[in-house]
Amino acid sequence: MAVSPLIVHPTEGTLLPSRPLSSPLKRQQQATHSAVASSNGTPALARPPGQDLQAGLGMSLDLVEQMNEDEKRKYVKGRKLGEGTYANVYLGHARHDPAVRVAIKKIKVQKEFRDGLAPDAVRELKHLQELHHPNIINLLSVFSSKDQNLNLVLEYLPLGDLEELIRDVDHVRYGAADIKAWMGMLTRAVWFCHDNCVLHRDIKPNNLLIAADGEVKLADFGLARSFADPGRKMTANVITRWYRPPELLFGARHYSGAVDVWSVGLVFAELVIRAPFLPGNSEVEQIALICRQIGTPTDDNWPGVTQLKEYTVPSDVTPVWDKSAYMGRFGAVGAEGVDLLMRTLALDPRKRITAREMLEHRWWRTEPRPTRKEELPRKQDGGEDKMGSDLKRRNGVVEDENNNNARGAKVARKLDFGATK
Amino acid sequence: MPPKPAAPGAPARNLFHPLPIPPSADDMCPVCKTIRYLNRDMEFLINPECYHTMCLNCVNRLFTDGPNQCPYAGCSRTLRRKGFRSAFFGDLAVEREVDVRRRVAAVFNRVEDDFETARDWDNYLQMVEDLTFDLVHGTGEKRGEAEKVLVRWEGEHKGEIERNRRAGREREEQARRRMGLEKDAARERRVAALREVEEERRERAASKEAELDGIAAAPDGRGGVQLKRRGQVVRAVEAAAAATAEVGRLSIRGLKEKGKPRGAEGPYDPFGGVDFAPSRYRLGEGLAHPQVDKYRFDQGHVTGGYSFEEWTARAMYEAFAGLGVFVEDEKEAGIGLSSREIATIASGIAAVGDKMELD
Repeated sequence: MAVSPLIVHPTEGTLLPSRPLSSPLKRQQQATHSAVASSNGTPALARPPGQDLQAGLGMSLDLVEQMNEDEKRKYVKGRKLGEGTYANVYLGHARHDPAVRVAIKKIKVQKEFRDGLAPDAVRELKHLQELHHPNIINLLSVFSSKDQNLNLVLEYLPLGDLEELIRDVDHVRYGAADIKAWMGMLTRAVWFCHDNCVLHRDIKPNNLLIAADGEVKLADFGLARSFADPGRKMTANVITRWYRPPELLFGARHYSGAVDVWSVGLVFAELVIRAPFLPGNSEVEQIALICRQIGTPTDDNWPGVTQLKEYTVPSDVTPVWDKSAYMGRFGAVGAEGVDLLMRTLALDPRKRITAREMLEHRWWRTEPRPTRKEELPRKQDGGEDKMGSDLKRRNGVVEDENNNNARGAKVARKLDFGATK
Repeated sequence: MPPKPAAPGAPARNLFHPLPIPPSADDMCPVCKTIRYLNRDMEFLINPECYHTMCLNCVNRLFTDGPNQCPYAGCSRTLRRKGFRSAFFGDLAVEREVDVRRRVAAVFNRVEDDFETARDWDNYLQMVEDLTFDLVHGTGEKRGEAEKVLVRWEGEHKGEIERNRRAGREREEQARRRMGLEKDAARERRVAALREVEEERRERAASKEAELDGIAAAPDGRGGVQLKRRGQVVRAVEAAAAATAEVGRLSIRGLKEKGKPRGAEGPYDPFGGVDFAPSRYRLGEGLAHPQVDKYRFDQGHVTGGYSFEEWTARAMYEAFAGLGVFVEDEKEAGIGLSSREIATIASGIAAVGDKMELD
């Protein structure tokens, strides 16, 4: 699977044009399709407004309302897949072809943000509208329905997320080649974001959804932002705790793509050991876990770290573990894989490998070759519901304590009588 | 499913004798007028030529000496002894429809996997159903036509039909085998799990201080059964036969191209074939800007891992973005843009036009 082809559904109309890769800053051959003509990526109107529409809708709508109406009419909303505090998710399909299935994420009007859109919704929209890559969830359209509700039309990803595969120890088995294929897709997505100056800031296995053909897609851009200019502060309170890098735990306000790379490294580790590598129940515990499992950050291995605002480490200093320690635990991916893992988990963000350098690593070229995406292990059932629950979560919110514990203890989350035969 | 329901028995009643099949004392053979009261073992037979009912005695009497005309008044079909059988359904209209459907299904035996899109598959089903409907409920002309199409199709696609039939049988066979395999695997897994539990218990008893963590984390080496669902059997490739879509022959649209060879895979490309290397400039080392240099040694930026390379790369990119896009050229070539969009762009240029040319 050297190149992951975009799924192109045969379409008669102008809907869903096969988009090449595109991004806000690096548009390549954008002129070849008309659907993302305007500067902010709003799909352009397929036909000149005001011809046949006006007849149907009367003269009361202005141009913007007409465009919105036009966009809305392209999709048929189906049954509800899930409901959350932040958004409802519906299954839907394109009006002109029922075979084109989509997920419609309807963001609820929130009390705190009555005057405008919730910031996480804005973040998600802003970046998803611009980033188009086989490994990033595709935003097909946006429209508002009655009561000013915002509806995001996303591609439909029926096969659940990576977390389910990792957790389902009893039914899903995978090997080094599968891990390499998944990591390749994840790293490509992160590299694409970084090369287009976008920080994702919430990478974790349950934000990695799986498409029908096995392709892994990075979703949930509710915490994403573009790179800050020097001197501009960014918040340190991002990324789900288990995947949060030490510089954020220590309160750094100026950081780079290295924060995402740390999360990628932890996803990698989780894929290998099939359990969260650093599941801290609080920020203090998270720091303690990092110190114990990876090494204590000190001025020797990370110059200046003691000056960071919230620098606190346990008193007993653990030296940074060497390769042999990692080989014992992560040896399944081979020496090269362990080397890559260690580089992503470098404590000092300046010494941490970048997403581009990750893709240039030797591991991809060593045996075994990554599995073809169609042949990757997948789960059997329940995909629809899962996408519903994945999307309806409030963006970027760390799951509460009880939930984490429950998950760690492998308590069955749902009784499924259909699966046991 | 198509809008024409297979209403059992409602229309076309006139064609058949509406005789109730369940045995009752009043059952009467419409040919010899014998009633069940006189012959307890009376058995009714039909012939799928015309679906007229008669009793076994009549059949023997009339057709033992070879083909003969149907004894029903007004029916001129020639029937043979061999064609007679007892009806499965009480309602002969249903009996006939089932026969017709069986026959059509044997000829049109494609599966969904043969089609490129769900829509093509639906269209195909619709076509088959329309044909079936004409055969079952159509009157005179329509029925004759449908009959002709069916026969013609059968004649022209003999090879394919045979192949599909074989494939279908193979599929069934495979499914059965797979089920068997899965059952075996499940049993073995259960046994292995039991054994493992037992072993674990013994181990725990043996060493009091056994590292419980170690046991939990150790890769569980359960029995050697691996049911990976990969490498689904690729169906045999028959290359030439399918491709002969000559003019005038009946054909179905939207069939998948068979035997498309899987493209030979080159080496794995971690970048997925995308390259963002700038083509119009080169990023040098140590690009500086007075506004930014004061942060270069700021502790907060350095320790937090802020990347000045990322910033310079972005600044350079933004400086060059849009260069090399020539709206005039695209307007002439008309690639991908609608005339309306071009007009918008053009008016945008007109508004700021002079300033841009200065550059």
